[in-house]
Amino acid sequence: MAKAAIADRSVKEFEEKQEWWWAAEKKRSSRLDYLRKAIWKKGAIGGLYAPGVKVDLERPVLQTQKARALEFSPDPYVIKFAKMIAHILDNKTIFITDNAQLVGYTGSLPHTIAWDPSLGSFLNEEVYNDPTAIPDPAEKSQQIIRDVNNYWIGKSDLDKMIPVFDMEDLGKMLSGSIGWGVPIARGGYSSKDYEYIMTGKRAYQAIIDELNQKIDEADEQTHAPGATTETSKIYDKINNWEAMKITLEAGIRVAKRYARLARIIAEHFEEDSNRREELLRVAESCEQVPAYPPRTLQESFQYDIFIQMMSRTEAVEGAWPARPDYYHGPYYDKDVNIKKNLTKEEAIDLVGEFLIRAAEVCQFKPKFAREGLQGIDGTWVWTIGGVDKEGRDACNDLTVALMQAARLVRVANPTFGFRWHPRVKDEVMREIFECLRQGLGYPNIRHDPVLIANSMHWYGHPIEEARLWCNQACLSPCPPTKHGFQPMRMANATANCAKIIEYVMTGGYDPVVNMQVGAETGDVTSFTDFEQFFEAWTTQMKTIFSILVRAVNRARTLAPNLTPRPFLSAISERSIESGMDTLTPSLERGNAWVTAFTWVENIDSLAAVKKLVFEDKKYTMAELKNALEKNWEGHEQMRLDFVKNAPKWGNDDDYVDDIMVRCLKTAAKFSKELKCPSGNNWPILPENVSGNIHYANIVGALPNGRRLGDALYDGGISPGPGLDKKGPTAVLKSCGKINHITDGRAFLLNQRLSPTQLAGEKGYQLWRAYMRTWADLELDHIQFNVVDDSTLRAAQKDPEKYQEVIVRVAGYSAHFVDISRKTQDNIIQRTVQGL
Amino acid sequence: MTTCKDCKRFFPLEDNPEKGDCVERIVDPRQAYYKSKPVNAGNDAVSCSSFQKK
Amino acid sequence: MKCTECGHNAPLESFRYLYNARIDASISIRQCTNCEEWLAVDELKGVVTQKIAQGEAPWGKSAGIEGLASD
Ligand code: SF4
Ligand SMILES: [Zn+2]
Repeated sequence: MAKAAIADRSVKEFEEKQEWWWAAEKKRSSRLDYLRKAIWKKGAIGGLYAPGVKVDLERPVLQTQKARALEFSPDPYVIKFAKMIAHILDNKTIFITDNAQLVGYTGSLPHTIAWDPSLGSFLNEEVYNDPTAIPDPAEKSQQIIRDVNNYWIGKSDLDKMIPVFDMEDLGKMLSGSIGWGVPIARGGYSSKDYEYIMTGKRAYQAIIDELNQKIDEADEQTHAPGATTETSKIYDKINNWEAMKITLEAGIRVAKRYARLARIIAEHFEEDSNRREELLRVAESCEQVPAYPPRTLQESFQYDIFIQMMSRTEAVEGAWPARPDYYHGPYYDKDVNIKKNLTKEEAIDLVGEFLIRAAEVCQFKPKFAREGLQGIDGTWVWTIGGVDKEGRDACNDLTVALMQAARLVRVANPTFGFRWHPRVKDEVMREIFECLRQGLGYPNIRHDPVLIANSMHWYGHPIEEARLWCNQACLSPCPPTKHGFQPMRMANATANCAKIIEYVMTGGYDPVVNMQVGAETGDVTSFTDFEQFFEAWTTQMKTIFSILVRAVNRARTLAPNLTPRPFLSAISERSIESGMDTLTPSLERGNAWVTAFTWVENIDSLAAVKKLVFEDKKYTMAELKNALEKNWEGHEQMRLDFVKNAPKWGNDDDYVDDIMVRCLKTAAKFSKELKCPSGNNWPILPENVSGNIHYANIVGALPNGRRLGDALYDGGISPGPGLDKKGPTAVLKSCGKINHITDGRAFLLNQRLSPTQLAGEKGYQLWRAYMRTWADLELDHIQFNVVDDSTLRAAQKDPEKYQEVIVRVAGYSAHFVDISRKTQDNIIQRTVQGL
Repeated sequence: MTTCKDCKRFFPLEDNPEKGDCVERIVDPRQAYYKSKPVNAGNDAVSCSSFQKK
Repeated sequence: MKCTECGHNAPLESFRYLYNARIDASISIRQCTNCEEWLAVDELKGVVTQKIAQGEAPWGKSAGIEGLASD
């Protein structure tokens, strides 16, 4: 919209028209407005990065330079790798944006996407073949990329890993039909030991001091008289500790570089005295953190940003496990309420900027991930609310400030997951509601008592640790504690579950990728009853899960030696204590899960087959098989029968709901047979990110009436779009038949509500009543889209005008105009539930 | 030879004036910022297009 | 089936199937192999109902109360 048009209209006018984005623009401070508009949008659209956004060639060159220099050094790999990290941090270009009070970015310049060339040659090839993101002049850039790529062939993490995988499993995984992602320890979702590093008790310098002591003691031990089998292990520990130290020292140095830059700007360039003061504050804060614990809210945020920047220099992070209100809340309280050296407005500016600093982060990701995560770089679902170690309400003023700031800056990433529990105050619930009503699509709401019990049930996390959970990715809780945190969740333990039912029909042969991927469960037309059919389903389920889990287990077992994480280890109490890399499975309790994409198609398909083929005998199995092979072409009447005349999940119909529960319990039982390298279970977690679109052309026709090409259901345990016809309570009741503690890890539920209905106090009360039913039924998750059809169709027609409309896709939010037409239509066709 | 040391953008380190930061203001289509990268005082400035005489 | 945009006449199956956003509706989006336009197709009747332009909604409003609300 033209600037003048915004200026002419009042906040109230925009709010009445529910044009929340313009209202936000008018309401936020000029600093936040500047910083919000300064973000280069990095999320890929249709798999491509936006114009002007370029791959950063500085880091790959620096890393390759250092790797070459170290090639013949006697250092063990962990130390070489730590030195590469340090070299990057010491030499990268850094920048400070006008008006910014927080600094630190993964790339070298604001419009760049960080590229880690040491992850896998396949990724490096993608960089080379991505003409839109290669910086100008292209020819020179391509020459640099070629040189970098040539060096890392055979040396990158995945290149080193591939020869040690089971080749048959690998082939099936790489076919792209059943899994997602690659099993490497520097690409996925890293939880962190926040209880060690974020509680103000210590920061880098204190850890370095402890490491020095450890190294000295160990060194003494190795030189003491006598030698045992333990002695050689001590050398390994010393190497690990040395590597950790190298990364921490580099972290302190890079912060000092920012401090220096801030002082140079203040002293030599800046003319505005207020800004000069701000820059000196930035300098002071970068001299304090990460070396020493933060003293103020600004330093606390700055500390967090530095930790994230380093973690994202060491690895490609697809998620952002965080609990900002819990760890930064005490500083907010100190600055705003006790010392009063920050006004609420100044604090909101900092909080909003903290969200913006996270929103701008981007690392070059493979195409499948870019297509899967339309419009964003990763699923950064920050955890807020919840309880403390003792079970007391942990919501604080920062919980509220985060939600208020989110409504002002309206970024699609990060989003929030709110841990609801019965003692959450009404004023906090109103803030959540306000975010939802203003169409952000977040926070999603999590049932804290259920999820704490769930963590204890599946992994045996002690209650005091389970209560501290934060999302490791979109939905899965993980305690940020010494033995509780999982240092890496590899994304490839993500099963495209619609293939389970598809393979029952095809005997495990995948017609889309033309290979035998599933189990050979025999000719489906020879099955004489539903039990036989279900048995084949169980076998296919077990087969798919096993292929994915085997690869992750193998990679996790080898990771501490082949692909260590010295920085992540340096901020992990267990590694400081033991001298072992934090990826070492024996140091961890275990918190693995299989993400179950495209799950509900199984349920609706099984119900349709049971009813129409085995019970009503309206169609033979041969007729069904034939129709599916033809992608239902020429069988439209029959297809409609399978959609409309078979029970569908989400309508409180026991016929199909019982099948859902049976499938989940079957999977849950098998989850306990599968074991992660830490010896713990592999429960399933139904959710979709946007796999429902990614897999549209990979999953063939299914007995629920879906065709190859159609988007799959939007995921988790959400009913198919438009198929939940009995109203919102029926949906909740169906979902309530699942035991959200013992039947799986977590269950995503998307619901769409009408903004008109949610208006005013009446709207809030309607929603509260609905949420009480949700809580009573003990569902672990729910999230909402509160945008009407007309706004979304208008946004399709006139995307320029609706740039800022946000929608909840599946496990994340995105700007509506950044997602594909198919995804847009899929969201619009979701049922709008009347409360 | 003209080196970084002769350049307006060069800011030497206090404890080691042979090294320093090259600081430059950039205005891109979305934001304005100052960037900094480490350089040696003795680096050849002849081929540097951003060189500005002190 | 006849393409309303270019007149291309061919069996329904030969129009490239793209997707159906409402599995319970007998409407699909297909692409004419001749003019490449996106078309809404009534799968039961085998006829093109409209050309798909931006913001066009061949399935009508979404289910639930949005669908009931007057325009
Ligand atoms: S602009 Fe060029 S010459 Fe000047 S300090 Fe930077 S690198 Fe050296
Ligand atoms: Zn045509």
